[in-house]
Amino acid sequence: MSQVNRLPGGGRIDRSQPLTFTFNGQTYQGYAGDTLAAALLANGVDVVGRSFKYSRPRGIVAAGAEEPNAVLQLGSCEAAQVPNVRATQQALFNGLVARSTNGWPSVDTDLMALVGKVGGKLMPPGFYYKTFMYPQSLWLTYEKYIRKAAGLGRAPTERDPDIYDHVNRHCDVLVVGAGPAGLAAALAAARSGARVILADEQEEFGGSLLDTRETLDGQPAAEWVAKALAELEKMPEVTLLPRATVNGYHDHNFLTIHQRLTDHLGEVAPLGANGVRQARQRIHRVRAKRVVLATGAHERPLVYANNDVPGNMLAGAVSTYLRRYAVAPGRRLVLSTNNDYAYRVVLDWLDAGLEVAAVADARSNPQGDWVNEARRRGVRILTGSAVVECLGSKRVSGARICAIDAQAGKVVGTGERIDCDLIASSGGYSPVVHLASHLGGRPQWREDILAFVPGPGNGVQLRIDAGAVNGVFSLGEVLTDGYRAGAQAAEEAGFKAVDGSLPKAEARREEATVALFLVPHDKPTSRAPKQFVDLQNDVTAAGIELAVREGFESVEHVKRYTALGFGTDQGKLGNINGLAIAARALGISIPQMGTTMFRPNYTPVTFGAVTGRHCGHLFEPKRYTALHRWHLENGAEFEDVGQWKRPWYFPKPGEDMHAAVARECLAVRNAVGILDASTLGKIDIQGPDAREFLNRVYTNAWTKLDVGKARYGLMCKEDGMVFDDGVTACLGDNHFLMTTTTGGAARVLEWLELYHQTEWPELKVYFTSVTDHWATMTLSGPNSRKLLAEVTDIDLSNEAFPFMSWKEGQVGGVPARVFRISFTGELSYEINVQADYAMGVWEQLIEAGQRYGLTPYGTETMHVLRAEKGFIIVGQDTDGSVTPDDLNMGWCVGRNKPFSWIGRRGMNRADCLREDRKQLVGLKPVNPNQVLPEGAQLVFDPRQSIPMQMVGHVTSSYRSAALGCSIALALVKGGLKRMGERVFAPLADGSVIEAEICSSVFYDPKGERQNV
Amino acid sequence: MTAVNVYQQRPNGAARAESPLYHAGLDELAGKGSPQAGVRLREKKLLGHLVLRGNAKDPAFAAGVHRALGLELPVALTLVARGETSLQWLGPDEWLLIVPSGEEFAAEQRLREALVGQHISVVNVSGGQTLLELSGPKAREVLMKSTPYDVHPLNFPVGKAVGSTFAKTQLVIRHVSEDTWELLVRRSFADYVWLWLQDASAEFGLAIQA
Repeated sequence: MSQVNRLPGGGRIDRSQPLTFTFNGQTYQGYAGDTLAAALLANGVDVVGRSFKYSRPRGIVAAGAEEPNAVLQLGSCEAAQVPNVRATQQALFNGLVARSTNGWPSVDTDLMALVGKVGGKLMPPGFYYKTFMYPQSLWLTYEKYIRKAAGLGRAPTERDPDIYDHVNRHCDVLVVGAGPAGLAAALAAARSGARVILADEQEEFGGSLLDTRETLDGQPAAEWVAKALAELEKMPEVTLLPRATVNGYHDHNFLTIHQRLTDHLGEVAPLGANGVRQARQRIHRVRAKRVVLATGAHERPLVYANNDVPGNMLAGAVSTYLRRYAVAPGRRLVLSTNNDYAYRVVLDWLDAGLEVAAVADARSNPQGDWVNEARRRGVRILTGSAVVECLGSKRVSGARICAIDAQAGKVVGTGERIDCDLIASSGGYSPVVHLASHLGGRPQWREDILAFVPGPGNGVQLRIDAGAVNGVFSLGEVLTDGYRAGAQAAEEAGFKAVDGSLPKAEARREEATVALFLVPHDKPTSRAPKQFVDLQNDVTAAGIELAVREGFESVEHVKRYTALGFGTDQGKLGNINGLAIAARALGISIPQMGTTMFRPNYTPVTFGAVTGRHCGHLFEPKRYTALHRWHLENGAEFEDVGQWKRPWYFPKPGEDMHAAVARECLAVRNAVGILDASTLGKIDIQGPDAREFLNRVYTNAWTKLDVGKARYGLMCKEDGMVFDDGVTACLGDNHFLMTTTTGGAARVLEWLELYHQTEWPELKVYFTSVTDHWATMTLSGPNSRKLLAEVTDIDLSNEAFPFMSWKEGQVGGVPARVFRISFTGELSYEINVQADYAMGVWEQLIEAGQRYGLTPYGTETMHVLRAEKGFIIVGQDTDGSVTPDDLNMGWCVGRNKPFSWIGRRGMNRADCLREDRKQLVGLKPVNPNQVLPEGAQLVFDPRQSIPMQMVGHVTSSYRSAALGCSIALALVKGGLKRMGERVFAPLADGSVIEAEICSSVFYDPKGERQNV
Repeated sequence: MTAVNVYQQRPNGAARAESPLYHAGLDELAGKGSPQAGVRLREKKLLGHLVLRGNAKDPAFAAGVHRALGLELPVALTLVARGETSLQWLGPDEWLLIVPSGEEFAAEQRLREALVGQHISVVNVSGGQTLLELSGPKAREVLMKSTPYDVHPLNFPVGKAVGSTFAKTQLVIRHVSEDTWELLVRRSFADYVWLWLQDASAEFGLAIQA
């Protein structure tokens, strides 16, 4: 069986390029230029899937984005799996492998069909909510089977070999859609000199012009398309994006376009000319001054009994398959219509030498030019009639046509059965309003064309609609409308539009459409065979009427109850019919009913495209210090601190983290350690009012800090809660260097700028970040002075260079500022050099340090050592609800400073002065080998019943090698007055750790070691 | 010590300097790319970078800057250059001065001398940032992949400089000649930007220049 439905000539396919593909394991042939849907139809494949809920066989209905059934799984191997591909939008390539996503075990013999047939009556809308929600504990089980039965495709379980990327674009005019209106608009805008982007979702530009029987200037319309494109391609400021779906229309005229760059070439993107794999798909992030919406219209099917049997298609789709792909999806055609345009399929069908069995026209006496041409060519037209029921199960075998009273919704007369294998239907045209309503714009009903058109942009969307989406359908008018829109868009974007010529379309007499959505049946809707409204979600007319009977009156509720317009379909095919049916059931008009909201994306977008290149090693920036290479070469394990990669600890062979940290801790306490502290935030502050500014942003006083000295400072927010801390040094009378926490660097600088710019602009002071400029190396431990002395010219004696002061000098031949400050409680020097020269200095320190037992240490050891000293880490021991007094750091609050510094009022609120606030204390587990888990909740009485009264939590907890026991810091209610009392940490496993409340300073409580 | 602590921070001896992309070994990669590469990349490393703050509305400030540097204060979103020295607007009261490597201390002293008595700030940030020069016929397309800012010449002519989002970080983009751009990158983000640029320019071909 090879291409039984392929016409001998015609079409835009390339017969010299046959392509092989498989569908559900069977091999077929098609031609270059085919879509997968066209090739399946060419091969006589009727059933492409099983329906979502009732598991009924389904065939191809449409030729574009609105296709509800042919949603397939692609991929020949696991890594290449792609779900949710509409066969109507997938170009055929050699070796393409496609499968039905539902149909288990196969689409032709579907076990689930039994469920569908037997269970049909048992599965009204709301089925999932009604039956499967209870008992709730079983939902997970139900869901597994529902998903399998529903068949939504599946994601690959292996890594995608392709790459995807993003590009940012800006333009004066973005034209969405390259049919007649879009091409004319693009020409008008481009001729004005504007920057224009023309995006179209199809393989070729031209839209309906690629398959219309109409002529332009007496020539096939496609010839004008080629001419227009040739003109646009020559213009340097025009960007043409084929295979590019404008999927989202967001705030500020920002639109997202999903372009499939290589999906037509193969399942994996080929290598480019330079051997680099091309991006498979690309998201264009477009900011457009104006948007011309030329998205066209989707033909509406009529809703009649068994209208889902394969062989029921949209009239326009049949024309597209005939004329564009040279495929005849049947032999004997019946058309059911309510409008003139649909007659094109009859004429096209006759031109292809095929037989038209009959046309059922709902209108009583249609006399349009196309209608009369069909009459002249001998087509039997049954007026005032419609196809009320399709006959056949896996393929159409006939149509029952009856005279109907469309107004009353009644069948009149018994009708007749006509043999046929294809029923084309057309219920009118629905403008593709999706993008126009992405920002909440409500489509507006136009009774004259029986369709919703986009609502006004209201300044939220700077948008001009053109062509069919604007309710303009006849070709000549569409072109004019497009050109007008393009010119207007260019003018609004600041360009001068120029007159341009447009080709002449044929003049034709057309007659109005008559309203027909649900075709009446002899039986009431609830008893008639299923009349499908939304094929993808298996929503029937009876289901919508049931929803209304059950009290769902809002269109949004009807949608959610029935699933109408859900999922990838987004209401393209069925929404208007569904609204009309609901409106009739409620006895209101369609505009009274209104529409549901449309959301991005218009068609599904792959996760790869959403992610772009922000994956793998580019997922998130990693920040490195100037010494990172040394840390790598010396086996550091790293800890993420914000975006920084900081050495966590430096394990020696065979050491686990505990062993390494214990070794590093003891080295600092007993000899000397070295830490890369470059990530600390550093802010250079200059100006005559710098000191006053510090007085106002820190809680403590800075008036008396001499040049050459440094001081620890606490920063609070207005509420009096600690927000950052660090040491600030006085470099000159008008010059300070502030350090911040690693994670707080950016927010502290913003905080200083905020207060300077908004509250105290009169203070003469400037702030400049120097975090990256300085590399900071911390030597800490009793041997640090001896070690540093080997490589510096600075006098390191305690008299010349006391604790909390700084000196300038050479370290390792590099100019340095050395700060004698300590975060470990040991004798410490923080050496700052320009980062470019840090590595050489570090290496000299490591070299010289061999004699003194120098040990590199990381953040974990730093944490343990500072906890032994009771030094806080903002963000670990504080959480934005902790005042300086809560931390027992009242000594760091300058209560007598003249200016009301930030946090002063906040921390003096009554609530902040309570004595039973949670306060920072030390904890010593009674069993010194037990380490409290950080975050553990604390109680005073472990025997109370659950829920226990929680009185605090552990903020930091470590095993202290220097003390030989475990230690912790904790926030405990009234803890500062409970020294020596016990608290208990009941753990999730039922065990309880008992600890004694103690001072938070565990080691060297008098602070003598740092002053030597 | 005086009101402000100013000192020569760059060693004058043989100390080894490692620019922010030292670890990438760009010197070894130089010349190995295809001569037809659409994108060329060079690190303009170890230059002197100074952040200058002052009152742009005070004629004495502009005059002092001109006296010290021979450059007019650039207006918003632009830079001015003379030889290897450039002065870029960063904000209403903030400019970036880039001078040849090692000249930053002298430049700071000249500025402070010329602006004595004014409320200003000069901060050496040479170690904290680097300039990456991106050139070639496809350089603009690499930028389009990286920044939401409009880099079309109509919006971003030569002489313009803006700070913007770049991939998932921020940096300053300077348009220095028709197909040559400079990216001002913070040291700690340099590796990320380097990885990003390699990836974004892969399809066009990337050549490293010494």
